[in-house]
Amino acid sequence: MCDEEYPSVKIKLRVDGKHYEVYVKPYERLVDVLRYRLGIVSVKEGCGRGECGSCVVLMNGELVPSCLILAVRANGSEITTVAGLAPEGKIHAVQKALLDVHAIQCGFCIPGVALAIKWLLDKNPNPSDEEIKEVLSGHYCRCGGYLRFIKAAKIASKYIREGRIYFDIKEVIS
Amino acid sequence: MVLIFRFNVYRPKSLDDALEILDREAPEVIPIAGGTDVLVLVREGVIRFKGLIDLWPLRRELSFVKREDGFIRIGALTTINELGRSFLVNDVRYLGFHDLIHSFATPHIRNLATVGGNIATAHPLSDVAILLLTLNAEVKLMSVKGERWVPLENLYVGKRVLRKEPNELITEVRFREKPLNSSTSLLKFDRRKAHIMGYVVVATYAHMDHEVIKDVAIAFDSVGKPYPGRAKLVEEFLKGKSLTDNVLSRAVKEVLIKEMTRISDYRATSDYRLYLSGILLKRSLLKVKERIRSSLG
Amino acid sequence: MSQVPEHIRIVEEAFSKYKKFVYVGKKLLRWDAVSKVTGRVPIFTADFVSRYRDALYVYSIRAKYAHARIKKLDISEVSRYPGVVKVITAKDIPGVNDVGYVVPDQPLIVDRKVRYIGDVLALVVARDYYIAREAAERIHVEYEKLPVITNPLDVIDLETLNEKKHALIRDERGSDVVAKYKIRRGDVERGFREADVIVENEYRTQFQEHAYLEPEAAIAIPESDGGVTVIVTTQCPFEARRAIARVLGLPQGLVRVIAPLMGGGFGGKEDVGNVIGAKAALAAYLTGRSTIIIYTREESFISHSKRHPMIAIYRHGAKRDGTLVAVEAKIILDTGAYASLGPFVAWRATVHSVGPYRVPNAKVDTVAVYTNNVYAGAFRGFGNPQVHFAVERQMDLLAEELGMDPVDLRFKNILREGDETVHGQLLSKDLGVGLEEALRRAVNLSNWYEKRRKYSLHFKGSVRKGIGVAILWHGNSIGVEAADYSSVSLIVNSDGTITFRTGLTDFGQGALWGLVLIASEILGVPPSYFIVERADTSAVPDSGPTVASRTTVMGGAATVNAAYKLRQRLNEVASHILGCPPSDVEIRAPDVFCRSNPSRRTSWRNVIEGAHWLGIPLQEFGYYRAPSASWDEDTGQGSPYITYTFGAVIAEVTIDVETGEVTVDRIYTVYDVGKVINKEGVEHQAESGAIQGLGYALMEELIHDAEGKVLNANLSTYYIPTAADAPEIIYDWVESGYKLGPFGAKGLGEPSLVGIAAAIANAVSYALGAKINELPITPEKIYLTLKKLGKLRNDV
Repeated sequence: MCDEEYPSVKIKLRVDGKHYEVYVKPYERLVDVLRYRLGIVSVKEGCGRGECGSCVVLMNGELVPSCLILAVRANGSEITTVAGLAPEGKIHAVQKALLDVHAIQCGFCIPGVALAIKWLLDKNPNPSDEEIKEVLSGHYCRCGGYLRFIKAAKIASKYIREGRIYFDIKEVIS
Repeated sequence: MVLIFRFNVYRPKSLDDALEILDREAPEVIPIAGGTDVLVLVREGVIRFKGLIDLWPLRRELSFVKREDGFIRIGALTTINELGRSFLVNDVRYLGFHDLIHSFATPHIRNLATVGGNIATAHPLSDVAILLLTLNAEVKLMSVKGERWVPLENLYVGKRVLRKEPNELITEVRFREKPLNSSTSLLKFDRRKAHIMGYVVVATYAHMDHEVIKDVAIAFDSVGKPYPGRAKLVEEFLKGKSLTDNVLSRAVKEVLIKEMTRISDYRATSDYRLYLSGILLKRSLLKVKERIRSSLG
Repeated sequence: MSQVPEHIRIVEEAFSKYKKFVYVGKKLLRWDAVSKVTGRVPIFTADFVSRYRDALYVYSIRAKYAHARIKKLDISEVSRYPGVVKVITAKDIPGVNDVGYVVPDQPLIVDRKVRYIGDVLALVVARDYYIAREAAERIHVEYEKLPVITNPLDVIDLETLNEKKHALIRDERGSDVVAKYKIRRGDVERGFREADVIVENEYRTQFQEHAYLEPEAAIAIPESDGGVTVIVTTQCPFEARRAIARVLGLPQGLVRVIAPLMGGGFGGKEDVGNVIGAKAALAAYLTGRSTIIIYTREESFISHSKRHPMIAIYRHGAKRDGTLVAVEAKIILDTGAYASLGPFVAWRATVHSVGPYRVPNAKVDTVAVYTNNVYAGAFRGFGNPQVHFAVERQMDLLAEELGMDPVDLRFKNILREGDETVHGQLLSKDLGVGLEEALRRAVNLSNWYEKRRKYSLHFKGSVRKGIGVAILWHGNSIGVEAADYSSVSLIVNSDGTITFRTGLTDFGQGALWGLVLIASEILGVPPSYFIVERADTSAVPDSGPTVASRTTVMGGAATVNAAYKLRQRLNEVASHILGCPPSDVEIRAPDVFCRSNPSRRTSWRNVIEGAHWLGIPLQEFGYYRAPSASWDEDTGQGSPYITYTFGAVIAEVTIDVETGEVTVDRIYTVYDVGKVINKEGVEHQAESGAIQGLGYALMEELIHDAEGKVLNANLSTYYIPTAADAPEIIYDWVESGYKLGPFGAKGLGEPSLVGIAAAIANAVSYALGAKINELPITPEKIYLTLKKLGKLRNDV
C-alpha cells in the first residue's frame, strides 16, 4: 500500500539522441516515463491498450506501442519518436511527404503514422499499396486521413530512394 | 493516466532464475511476455497480481525458429513478426503462418506479441494456438522440477485456464515436419478489413495426393468449448475424399453442423457463427488445395 | 424602413465586390501542420501536464449500476487512504451541482440516484492516479436497485408517441420525455388519399461513439484572485466557463478557460468540457492546488455523450409520375440519462426530417426520451444523418415501387431555387441553392446510369455489386437554438505580424484557417503573417460555440467585418503616405502601392509605423449576428436556418454474399458549399465525413447490455474504419454563393457526413435486392436479410 513497497528503479535510455537517467516505478509504462517524467510530447496516448497506434515509438529499431512496455524494460534502449526523425531545423522525408499531401488535420495520430511509415520504408524501400495499408492499419485516424497517408508513404519512398532524406524546415514554411 | 494497479517487476538474469522466482512467488506473481494481453487484462479488471516476472531478458535463449531432428521448434518468446521473418513463411507447407502473421492484430503489436504468450492466453481467439493445433504441436513446460512436453490439444481446460502448474513456464513449441504435398492456411473474418479479432477463426492442414486427402487437421477458435479445438468428425469425414463442391457442402451441412456448437454474444449470434464457420472452412480448405497444387508447379 | 445592420452590409458588400481571389479558394498548408508533424512542442491539453509537477490527480468514482437510488455513501476510508488529499462529493459543491448544456438536468456529482453507468459518485483527489484508484476501491455505497431501461420503446409507444408507464428515470420531473417537435403542413390525410403509391417502413439507427483519438483532459490552476484557470478539451470555451463558474459559484470573469487544439471533437467535446473542466476546477478550488484529470479510453467510452439512436416510422405518398404528395414521420430519439444537446438534436432532426424535397403535405412528430443508456448529445450531423438514412431509403423504395430510377425520382422532387421548403421557407437565390447542380455533377462523375444497369446484372460467384445515391441538406449554424453571433479580433503587431483571435476552436477541421484566408484576402497580406492564438476566454471575444458547421459561415462573416474595417484604416494610413485616395490603395504585403500609379509605393512595415504616429489604431473587433431564424412550435413553419448546405453522395459497393462482407469501393461527393474558401479544408472534410460515415453505416455501434453496462468500451470491440477500409473518394464542389456568407461560403463540417450512410445503404439494398432499414449494416445483418429472403446460396 505504501510507496516503499514498490521501490523505484533507475533506468537509462536514449530518446531522440538525448541521454536520460530517470527513476521509474516498476508499474510505470514507457509512455508514462516519456510523456510525464521526461516531458517528451512527441508520443501521444490514445487508448493505453495498444489498439490505436498513437503511442508507438521505434525502440531499438522496432515499432512498438509504448503504452504496453514496462518502463524497466526500456533500460538501455534507443528510442526514436517523430521528433527525432531529423536533426534540429530539418524534417525527414516522411514528414515532408505528409506535408506535401496535406495529410494533417487534428494531428493526434501523426506522430504514430510518421514512425510507422519510417519503419516500413526502413525494411521495405519500395512497398506496394497493400503493404502500406497493412502497416497503416495499426493506426486509427478518426479525421479520415488514410488516403493521404498512403500517398505520403509512396512519396517518402521516392524521396528516400532518390537520396533526399532531410529537408530544411524553412523550405516548408513559406 | 492509467487503469493499472501498482505492482513490482522481477527481471530474471536467466531462464533458471526466472523459474526459481516463479516457483517461489507464483501465483501472486505471473510471467509477462509481450504484455499485449496481460496489461490489457489488468485494465479490464480480469486479473490481479502482486508482481510480474518480465520474460523479455530471456529473449536471447527463447526466441528462435529452427528445424532439428525432423521437428520445427519455435521458442516461446519469438514475436509474431519474427515468425514472419523466418523460413516458415517461405515453405509452402507452413504458409498458414503467413496468413496468421498478416491477420494478427496490428503490425506494431506483432513486434511484442509472442508465440508463447498467445498460447498462454487460453482464449478462443488465440490464432497461434489454432494454427498449431492443426500441426499437432506440443508445448514444452519447464519448472524448477524439470521439463515436460504436453500436446497443445491437452493444454486447455477452460476459458483462460491452462493445464499447467503456476510455477511452470511455456518455453517452446514444436511440431513434426510435414510431408511434401501438404500445406496450411488460416482464415478469419470480422466486420472490417484489418485489425480484427474475428467472429470465427479457422486453420486447416491438409496432405493431399493427387487431389485426394490423405491427412487433414482442422481447428477453430471454438468447436464447442471456450478455447481452440479440432473438428475431428469433419476431419474423419474428409479423409480419403477429394475436395469437390459436393464433399465440401456435405462436410459443412452434415458433419460440422453436428460437431460444432457456437455461442451467441453481443458480437454475433450462434446461428451466424455456425454458418460463417462453414463458409470459412470451405475457403480455408480450398486455399490449402490451391497451395499444394501450385507448389507442384 | 429598417436599416440593414452594418455587420450584414459589410458581408453583402464583400460578396458582391470580390470576384478574383489571391488566397481564398487556394490549397494552402494550414498554420499548425508543421508543429504537428515535428511533434516537438505541446499541442494538446494532456501535453501540458508535465509542466505541472506538483499537481494532484482527480479520479472519478463511477456508478456500479445504471439505475439505482443511493441510500448511503461512505467515503471515510477513501479519505483516509495515504496519498489522498480530498474526496469531493455533491455536498462539497459551492455553487450549483449542474453541468447540463441545454437543460439543467445533469449533476456533476450525483447525490440521490445514479441514472447511467458513467455517473460520478465522488471525486478522489490524490498524489497520483494509482493511489486515487486504489483509494476509490474503498468506497462503500448502499444502492437500492431500480429497473434499468435500455429500450426507448419501454418509455414511449412508437405508434401513438405517448409515454408509457415505467419506472421513471427523471422521477423528480414526472416524465421521461425531454422534448417534442412537430411539422404540420397541408393535409396529409388528403395527400395520402391522392397518392397512387404509398410506402411505409420502420428505420433504426444505433449509438455511435465519437472515438476521437485524444481522450478528454483538463488542467486547473487556482489563481491568486480566488478564481481558477482551466485548460480543457472543449469546443465551447465560453459554455465551459459558464458551467464551471456555475458549479463553483463564481462570477464568470474569475474563471478562465483555455481551449488548446484538440485531437478530434466531432461534437463529443461540445459539452464534455463542462464536465471534465468542472471536475478539475472544483478540485483545484477546494484544495488550492493545481489539478489534472485525463480520462482513460474506457472512461471516455462510458461517460461522454454519443449519437442519438433513432427509431422511426416513415410513410411516403407519391403520384405515378413520382411527385411527392405526402410525408408522415414518427421519430423517436434515445437521449440516454441526460438531455445534453438532445433537445437541439431533436429539433434539427425535425427540421430536416423530410429531406431536401418539395413536400406539399407533411406531418412529422419527433420525441426525445430519457433512458438509462449512456447519454446522447452532439455528434457531427446532430440528428440529420439519422433522418437522412430513413428519408433517402424511403425515396429509393418509392422509386422501386414506381419503377423509376432513384436519381430521376429525386430530380422530380428536389428543392430548387425559388421553391418553398416544407417549413414554408423561400429558398431564394440569396441563400445559394445548388442542390440540383450537385446531383447532376455526382451523376456525371460516377457514371450513374451506366453503372446502375451494369450492376444489376453483376453476379460473379458470390459477388454482387451495387450503386446508391443520397442527397442532403444541412442547415448552417444554430437556427433557433439561441441567438446566433460570432466574433473575431485582428491585432496588427508592431513587427507586421497579425494576431488572430477567436473563441472558435479547432479539433482538426481547420475551419480557422479559412478565416485566416478571408482576412488575408481582405487585408492583402499572406496567411503566413497571421498567428492564430488558441481560444482563451480572457483574451478572445465570445464567438459562440464551435458547432453546427458554423465556423466558416459565422466566424467567417465576423472575420470579414473585422478585416474590412481594419482595411479601411490601413487604406487611410497608406493614402496619407502615398498621396493617392484610400480607395486606390493596393496592399500586397510586403508591398503597398497606388493601383493607378504603382511607382508610388511603400512597405507594409511603413504603413504600420505610420498608423502608430498618426494615431490610427490597428486592432479591430469583428462581430456578426445572423439574421434571426424562426420556427412555429405548432406547425413547424418558419425560416429555421439562415441557409442550407446541399449535397449529393453516390456510393459503389461490392458484396460477398457468402460472408456478408460489404466493401465500399468508391464514394462520390458533391457539396454545394457556397464558395470554397479553404481548399485544403473542404477536401479534408469530404474525406473525413466519408470515412466516419462509412463507419456509421457498416461497423460502429456502442452496445449496452440489459443492465445498462457498455459491452464494447474500447477501440478493438468498437470498430472504427482502418486504412484498409477506406474507399476511393472522388469529390467536386458547387459554389452557389450564399449572399450573407463570407464571399458566399457555407459550412461543411457536418454535411460531409450526413448523406454517407444513406448512400451506402441504398447501394447495398440495390446490390442485394433487399431492404436494408437498419444501421449498422454488419455482415451478420446481410446474412439474416438474405436468409429471410431465401436468397442464401444453397451449397453452403
